[in-house]
Amino acid sequence: MNDVTKRETSQDVATRERKEQLRALLPPVDIYEEDNALHIIADMPGVKREGLSIEVDNNVLSLEGEIQIEMPEGISATYAEIRAQRYARRFTLSHEIDTDAIEAKVDNGVLHLVLPKKDTHRSRRIDVKAA
Amino acid sequence: MFGDLWRFDTDQFQGLDWFRQMMDEFFPETGAADIRSVPRGSFPMINVGSTDDAIRVYVFAPGLTASDLDVSVQNNVLTLRGKREVPTPKSESEERRPYFRRERFSGEFARSIALPDGLDADRAEARFHNGVFEVLLPKREELKPRRIEIKAA
Repeated sequence: MNDVTKRETSQDVATRERKEQLRALLPPVDIYEEDNALHIIADMPGVKREGLSIEVDNNVLSLEGEIQIEMPEGISATYAEIRAQRYARRFTLSHEIDTDAIEAKVDNGVLHLVLPKKDTHRSRRIDVKAA
Repeated sequence: MFGDLWRFDTDQFQGLDWFRQMMDEFFPETGAADIRSVPRGSFPMINVGSTDDAIRVYVFAPGLTASDLDVSVQNNVLTLRGKREVPTPKSESEERRPYFRRERFSGEFARSIALPDGLDADRAEARFHNGVFEVLLPKREELKPRRIEIKAA
C-alpha cells in the first residue's frame, strides 16, 4: 500500500494538494472548560504521535493528523466509510489562552489537548460576605 | 494509504457528509432497509478491504482497547460490539462543567456487516493500533484466485 501512495506523489503537485484538502475529515471533538483550562478531545483513529501536527498561528489553533495504517500490498477496497488520509480541524482561540503552555497527548487514536488560561484570566471564587 | 479505497469513491464532496446526511433526512430511503443496518458513519466506522488470501476489516474505534471491543463471526456476519465511555470531567469542586461541543460518540454500540462466503472464521485474527482494529479473515482455498492453465489444443 505504501508503494501506491508513493506513486501518487509523482502526480501534479497542485491538483494533489487540492485533493488532499478536500479529503481531510473533520474529527469529532468534545470541548469543555475548567477553572484554569479549556480541554479539547478529538477522535483521530489511525493517527500516531509522529503523524500529528498541532499549530497555533494568529490565535487559530489547527489540529491535523495523518492516518497511518499498515495495509498489505495489493489490497482493494470493498467498502469504505473512512475515505481520507488525514484529519484537519481549526478553532479560533480567545486571548486568555496561554498558547505557549498548550499540552497534547494522544492515546489509542484519541487526542487530548489542554489549553491553559493565562494567570490573569483564571477564574476566582468571590466570597460573598454576610452583611 | 487509502488510495486504493479512494478509487471506489465517486463523489468529490468529502467534506460535505453533513449535507448528505441532511439530504438523507429530507429524502429518506423508500426501499426496505436491512434490519441490522445502521446509518452511514455510525460509530465505529468501518473499512473493508480484500486481498488474494484474506478479507481485512478496519474498525476505527478510537479510545478503545482490546477488552472494550467484542468481535464475533457467525454465519458470515461479523458483529462488533462494545462500549465507549466518555468520562464526564469534573472540576475541583466536583461540579459538572458545561460542554461547548459534544460530538464524540459515547455509549454502547453494535454493528454487523455481511461477509462473503468462503471465509475461514476459525483462523481469524484481530489486533489494534492507534485506535484502529484490524480483523483479518483468511479466505478458504476455494475463494482464492486461481490461475487457469490454457492447454494447447
